[in-house]
Amino acid sequence: MRAKRAGTTPGLAAALLVAALGTLLPSAGNAEGGNAARGERAFQRCFACHSIDPNEPAKLQGPNLSNIMGRPAAELPGFAYSQAMRTERAAGLVWDAATLDRYLADPESVVAGTAMSVPPVRDPQERADLVAFLARSGPYRP
Amino acid sequence: MRHLLFALTILAALSLPAGAQVSTYYDLAKGDYPHDVAVGPTGEVWFAGQKAGIAGRLDPNTGKIERIALGKNAAPHGVIVGPDGAPWFTDGGQNAIVRVDPLSRDVKVWPLPPERMPYTNLNTAAFDGRGRIWFTGQNGIYGRLDPHTGDMTVWDAPKGRGPYGITATPTGDIWFVSLAGNYLANVELESGAATVYEPPTKEQGARRVWSDSKGRLWISEWNSGNVSVYDPAAKRWNQWKLPGASPRTYAVWVDPDDKIWLTDWGANAVVRFDPEKQTFASFPSDRPGANVRQLLGRKGEAWIAESGTERIRVIRYR
Repeated sequence: MRAKRAGTTPGLAAALLVAALGTLLPSAGNAEGGNAARGERAFQRCFACHSIDPNEPAKLQGPNLSNIMGRPAAELPGFAYSQAMRTERAAGLVWDAATLDRYLADPESVVAGTAMSVPPVRDPQERADLVAFLARSGPYRP
Repeated sequence: MRHLLFALTILAALSLPAGAQVSTYYDLAKGDYPHDVAVGPTGEVWFAGQKAGIAGRLDPNTGKIERIALGKNAAPHGVIVGPDGAPWFTDGGQNAIVRVDPLSRDVKVWPLPPERMPYTNLNTAAFDGRGRIWFTGQNGIYGRLDPHTGDMTVWDAPKGRGPYGITATPTGDIWFVSLAGNYLANVELESGAATVYEPPTKEQGARRVWSDSKGRLWISEWNSGNVSVYDPAAKRWNQWKLPGASPRTYAVWVDPDDKIWLTDWGANAVVRFDPEKQTFASFPSDRPGANVRQLLGRKGEAWIAESGTERIRVIRYR
């Protein structure tokens, strides 16, 4: 399965929708059927390598995830993305609710050869909760 | 026929001239995603099938692979073979230490205390000289389990998230490294107190650690692309950059002859370092994107988990 691409109308619409929702959500609200409060707990799966603190001082193995909704893949300057991720960026991969859901369920199916080794998040509700939590930091602002 | 082929491969390896090496690759089921690998007392090879949630057992003589389910939501990251000859897994999915009986294949699970942290991102493990297994959790913990009593203690790691590789010295001392914390630590075996040792290279990304026969700690530095060593007796550090334009040193294992085996994602290769000659030899994978996260072996054999190609590789060498 290929990731949803920016430039296709449905992909862009979804990204914009989620980005807009991100600005409107209450702190523990729902997004796309997910619950941000539960998602914060589920984020422990990601915590070792990712931060959602835009001012995170630690040099972590994964890129910062604050304001990720609507952000193109491999976008953050100074982060050493894998060649696999840079290839997907060139192909137009943008992080939105749909692409994040698929990536969490099966990272290899979205970014073949990804360096991320997190076990698949098999529960769709848990993935939705995670996405809701990530959306809480607001949309990507270039 | 398959048995004959394996026998011939091993025979060829045994007849290698000094200094030579030969690689053999074993294909796994798609989706197994071998993260770590370990060799048992009779030469059987165990691997942690992280995405499939299984313990894998490879018989190198026949090529037969067994897949043993570890439990609902299992996602084993690490595997070592304990002093009892059994494979022990650090299972992030179940947030538990898991043992597979090598004869009956029975699975025993020791969950971590859930009230502390429901998901610690369990990483790797090592046995001390007193029969207890120590483990790291990348979310910022390390711990100790006594399998005989079931007693388990978990401590907060210095600097929070990052604890990754862990090793035991020949005298049973336990050391671990922190990838995000950029340090090496020694734990006091009874109190559990950790003492931090800072490698000379800042933000080096100390990912894995292994002891040599003298108790020196060899470290694979992910961010710097170095291999470094700390000698506790001499209180001295040393480090070397791996060859190539942009090495990324992921895993380390020290063989019984005190040669240092490393994996380098930058070169898509396994690298052997000779500390006496201070020279590197490189053994690239025959496929791109091998993404080797760990290797471990025994005399004459380096066993390698290729997570990216979902294969187990062995380098037989003299």
